[in-house]
Amino acid sequence: MSRQLHLNAFLKPPGEYLAAWRHPDTTAAAGVDLAAVLGFVRTAERARFDAVFLADLVGVPLESQDVLSRVSVVNDSLEPTTLLGALAAATTRIGLIATASTTYNEPYHLARTFASLDHISGGRAGWNVVTSLNDGEALNFGLDAHLDHATRYARAEEFFDVVAGLWDSFEDDAFVHDQESGIYFDETKLHALDHHGRHLSVAGPLNIARPPQGRPVIVQAGASEAGKAFAARVAEVIFSGQRDLAKAREFSAEIKQRAKDLGRDPDHIKVLPALSTIVGRTEAEAREKHERLRELLPPQVALADVAYWLGGFDLSRYPLDGPLPELPESNQSKAGQAHIYEAARRDNLTIRQLAQRVTDNAGTVVGTPAQIADHIETWFREGAADGFNVIFPYLPGTLDDFADLVIPELRRRGIFRTEYEGTTLREHLGLPRPANRWAAT
Amino acid sequence: MAAAEPRRLSLGALVHGSGGHIAGWRHPLARPDGQLDFAFHAELARTLERGRFDAIFVADVVAIWGGQLDSLSRTGRAEHFEPLTLLSGLSLVTEHIGLVATATTTYNHPFHIARKFASLDHLSHGRAGWNIVTSVVPLEAANFGRAEHLEHELRYARAAEFVEVVRELWDSFDDGANVRDKAEARYYDPARLRTPHHRGEHFTVRGPLNISRPPQGHPVLFQAGASPTGRDFAARYGEVLFTTAYTLDAARADYAHAKAAAAGRGRDPRHVLVWPGLSPLVASTEAEARARVAELDALVHDDVARRLVQDNIGDLDLTGYPLDGPVPDIPPSNRSKSRRDLLLELARRDELTIRQLALRMSGGAIVAGTPEQVADHIETWFRAEAADGFNISFPYLPGPAEDFVDQVVPILQRRGLLPTEYAGGTLRENLGLPRPAALPRRPDAEVRNPVVPRRKPSTESAR
Repeated sequence: MSRQLHLNAFLKPPGEYLAAWRHPDTTAAAGVDLAAVLGFVRTAERARFDAVFLADLVGVPLESQDVLSRVSVVNDSLEPTTLLGALAAATTRIGLIATASTTYNEPYHLARTFASLDHISGGRAGWNVVTSLNDGEALNFGLDAHLDHATRYARAEEFFDVVAGLWDSFEDDAFVHDQESGIYFDETKLHALDHHGRHLSVAGPLNIARPPQGRPVIVQAGASEAGKAFAARVAEVIFSGQRDLAKAREFSAEIKQRAKDLGRDPDHIKVLPALSTIVGRTEAEAREKHERLRELLPPQVALADVAYWLGGFDLSRYPLDGPLPELPESNQSKAGQAHIYEAARRDNLTIRQLAQRVTDNAGTVVGTPAQIADHIETWFREGAADGFNVIFPYLPGTLDDFADLVIPELRRRGIFRTEYEGTTLREHLGLPRPANRWAAT
Repeated sequence: MAAAEPRRLSLGALVHGSGGHIAGWRHPLARPDGQLDFAFHAELARTLERGRFDAIFVADVVAIWGGQLDSLSRTGRAEHFEPLTLLSGLSLVTEHIGLVATATTTYNHPFHIARKFASLDHLSHGRAGWNIVTSVVPLEAANFGRAEHLEHELRYARAAEFVEVVRELWDSFDDGANVRDKAEARYYDPARLRTPHHRGEHFTVRGPLNISRPPQGHPVLFQAGASPTGRDFAARYGEVLFTTAYTLDAARADYAHAKAAAAGRGRDPRHVLVWPGLSPLVASTEAEARARVAELDALVHDDVARRLVQDNIGDLDLTGYPLDGPVPDIPPSNRSKSRRDLLLELARRDELTIRQLALRMSGGAIVAGTPEQVADHIETWFRAEAADGFNISFPYLPGPAEDFVDQVVPILQRRGLLPTEYAGGTLRENLGLPRPAALPRRPDAEVRNPVVPRRKPSTESAR
């Protein structure tokens, strides 16, 4: 069979778009409503997505009440691993990926939780490794601000090694459960980690059998130099953020080359750029859906987002439907998006229009199923993507549309599965099951 | 005390896939490999729900459950699910039964614990319970970067602050604060948000929790502290208390103490339920049931028996002591004090050998007999105010659980001790516990959030 796409469903109930909860077709409380989430996950499984993915923040971002009180996800969501435990019981094939921070967790707890999830789901767990960089999170864990970049990544590297080591505590065939001899497990196949490092000290062993997948699939999204080095060493799936095909191709090639330099098989790293879509039966219908969604964004929220893109430049004291003021010198250097601002000024956008443009930061592709399939196929065939991390602006609408309209089109083109390849997430992704480091070869 | 509401019997099941008896997994009728089998647990949960159990309880240790491989490798104590992950899975295959997990305050952080239990409570529509422990197993410390286990009093001081922070976090949003008003673009009413801004001796936690108030207000708090400090902690926070008495008199004393201590802390003693342990084994005759216990005891390996006594009493080495000789004198340690004293007293009083003491512990408080006899035991303890309910551990699984549900529960129902239907939708309602109002606002916590722009791209943090 020809090379196949991998599709991950990035679920952020009730949707990625900050105003998704206001959409007339969404359940505003979907972040805490298991029935709603189950509906989304069953759709994704029926469509044969490789996995669903739940992002996470361990704290509410620091923002004014006037802004925070108008958004849903950061205030009111189920803890991802707990939710995945329930989803594991409700599904049979789809992969289950959750974010967990290496900065605000203990490796022993985390290794156990993902191992348990892998056992409960029969080998469908994945861990998206993040280092956390939100001050709102730091303040919940006794810190005044998030750790600096280098420290976070140094800890993350060590944290990962500890977790991977804990998963190997028992060899695959350690548990014999032999009633006759009374031997429950073969003690020669238990290996304590005894890790004493710079950031962590963990004796082990883990108190659970090796995960069915050997180790849950490792997912990573960091795009910094340290992030890329980490990804090249350990990641098996990479959620990337490139919106430009040439840059995406460059990124994918670089990561795979770096992995190869480290002795890894580059085919065992799947690069999945983010792809947000709004699908219509006609282009006009799709644009109409997009426009209706954008109108729901409260200006306070939009302006907060703009302020953040502009390095803290606060536009709220200017009239919302008036012209854009000049960006102060001091913010131009800080703002990574200053060029977008200047372009908006040249286009004579109002502040409201700019806010709508900026907040749509997922770079949503809006169009017909064929147009979206063209985009996917082009990126896929030109080496910019092994698949996509599909983002849904509002749920279930944009997921249903993707499943019902885009996926059949991808199948007609012969680039997406009609049935799952196996039962584990590794099998869906074509990733090998890692050998236990202690196993005799 | 008002007599309007009669006492009701409640039942919880301590679920350990390999069975409550240390050699239970070896019994020919047991499932030896059920421990990591989710389908097995799901079936068991449904059986217990059919028997109208109020709760499933999953105990926990954040380490392998014993340091010596020769004995550990002969028990089912080196592999278990992380409890919350298991319970969230079980929430989906059950409708009524409460879901109670142990989580330690010594090796966790309050934000994670508040969030996970709030999530389980939302997932299960109000069926979550948290068994608060401070950890007793020294092996746990080394998995969390500590050379030694925290000292007893310090553990409880940390635990008290931990629980206070968790409750504040659960109360971050008032009931109904999340108005989700699509037209007005208000997801929550800021006037009904209470950001904890907690600064204490052990924790600094700003909050708020990033999830709405749990359906039960607070998940039900379980506790098993039995030392003086532990009992006082239980009197302050515990709503269901696990006790370990083996005799009716001792259980009555525990019961009276727990209720008085709760009253002493200004709480309504009816809202503190006392659950002694019970390991029922039923058969058609008493002799047959006792034979079954003897079969189980015969399956306890010598190394396991010796280690059971060592591990439960404290840091001592019994190597060289004859297993069928007396229990030697024990020096004090930093372990769970109450349990050590209880066991030593038991050994002295009944003049037990090391092996006999091990067998007393190997299966918990075993009551073996006919269904009528087991029901009599439950009724006697309930009526004598030795128990409001029981923390039931089945010696092996699944047989004894099925037998209890099919043979003992109907008797309890016929006797009017146990209702035939669940009383309500939440664990609190089924246990007859009130739903807590939000804690009073702390004036110093009413700090308005300043406008602080996010400093780093949300594209990464959002992942």
